[in-house]
Amino acid sequence: MTTEQEREKLLADLGRRARVVAGREIYFDWEGFFWDPNDWTEEVARILALESGLEDLTEAHWNVLRFFREYYFYHGRAPMNRHLKEGTRLSLGAIESLFPGGIRLGARRLAGLPNPKSCF
Amino acid sequence: MSDRLIYLDNAATSFPKPREVLDRMLRDYIEMGVSPGRGSYDLALEAEDIVGRARKKLALFFGAPDADRIIFAANATDALNIAFNGLLQPGDHVISTRLEHNSVLRPLYHFRERGWISYDLVHFDGKGFVDPDEIGRNIKQNTRMVIVSHASNVLGTVQPVEEIGRVCAQRGIPLIIDASQSAGKIPIDMTAWKVSAVAFTGHKALLGPMGIGGLAVGPDLDIKPSRFGGTGVDSRSPVHTETFPHRLEAGTINLIGIMGLSAGIDYIMQKGMESIHGEEMALLKRLRDGLWGLEHVETYCAGDLSGHVAVLTANVDDVNPEDAGAILDGDFNIAVRVGLHCAPLVHEDIGTINCGAIRFSPGIFNTPEDIDHAIRAMASMS
Repeated sequence: MTTEQEREKLLADLGRRARVVAGREIYFDWEGFFWDPNDWTEEVARILALESGLEDLTEAHWNVLRFFREYYFYHGRAPMNRHLKEGTRLSLGAIESLFPGGIRLGARRLAGLPNPKSCF
Repeated sequence: MSDRLIYLDNAATSFPKPREVLDRMLRDYIEMGVSPGRGSYDLALEAEDIVGRARKKLALFFGAPDADRIIFAANATDALNIAFNGLLQPGDHVISTRLEHNSVLRPLYHFRERGWISYDLVHFDGKGFVDPDEIGRNIKQNTRMVIVSHASNVLGTVQPVEEIGRVCAQRGIPLIIDASQSAGKIPIDMTAWKVSAVAFTGHKALLGPMGIGGLAVGPDLDIKPSRFGGTGVDSRSPVHTETFPHRLEAGTINLIGIMGLSAGIDYIMQKGMESIHGEEMALLKRLRDGLWGLEHVETYCAGDLSGHVAVLTANVDDVNPEDAGAILDGDFNIAVRVGLHCAPLVHEDIGTINCGAIRFSPGIFNTPEDIDHAIRAMASMS
């Protein structure tokens, strides 16, 4: 097995899967989080939102998604809970209700941020 | 939203620490922070004396017959690794439970994957307790040890260690308990309970800092050293000393941690362990009763809280526990621990392996108002 093949096997073992979304091949992890946040586009987000049951992404949704992405690319990490609340001017309970799947599997995933991989 | 953080994650680490514990730890370290027992000057002897007194204090605390067999380690995981590495031989069999933390499960898995040992994990019942007779039924000819979590870090259930000790003693099998969630909350008497070793951590209910824990070793347990090095004694010999406690302690010990742990125990003794436990359990009952009043909240193994420490695990229907934790933190200033709590088999058995759960663990500085706030916060999601 070549080094590249070994790497690909390792990534597959980690749950990396490719899918074509909006005409682009994008890698996702086992929970549907983007492998590379740079693969995100608004069009991709719309399609993923539709798949999750959101017919339309309203301005309230975009407000959350844009804040997640701006914060992530500026700070190099996802916002803490208080920063998410301050930055979106929404309670976390409101964000939870806004997205099917809630904050983590809904909003964060649709925003294209990597999997937080917390205590699981 | 509360103005101050309501910290309900004391099963992870107690926070805040009592101010007097931190003050004394720092004062002692400022005055005596030299290498204990390594020099002949008075201050080194005084530092060694502090360590010796801490060992005696811990021996009394755990009902251990010999203070020299109180071994300091970095934490309970470290202490358990000292025990596993120093006791297990190829071909050995171990009995443990499905309540265990990864501090037990992962070392056992590691040894089994290398083909060195086999093990059986005993199930707990619907209330979160292990049957001592079930442990007895799993004992084989090559069983080398039984290792049991004294109190579950997910369910809070306190295991019948005295009965398990009796079963083990009848068959001549050493019993080791992981007291991470019980030490400092409820009495432990390793002599009366026929427990061969107690692994403990200093930073939870013992109210010390992180980085200090240990292993109280009974006289029947011949743990071989698995780490070797300087001990401050018998330096000419190339062989690591066989004498306790240095036999299982290599290198300079965590003096400031020991000072903090010692101050933490004094604090507990002064306030009264029973009194602290009673107050925490009153808060837990208040929480449990409040959560039971919410339609979409489920609690686990919390029907009868006698035989529990102050740990309660719950979930809200249709809310991912991780999101629930974020909402509790961001919207209500409440800190809890969500996920699998490093105890995946417990979550497998209570049906929460896919998403985990929300764990509440009140501590000595929580109030009934904190609990009411947490109940209201949970109500907002249910």
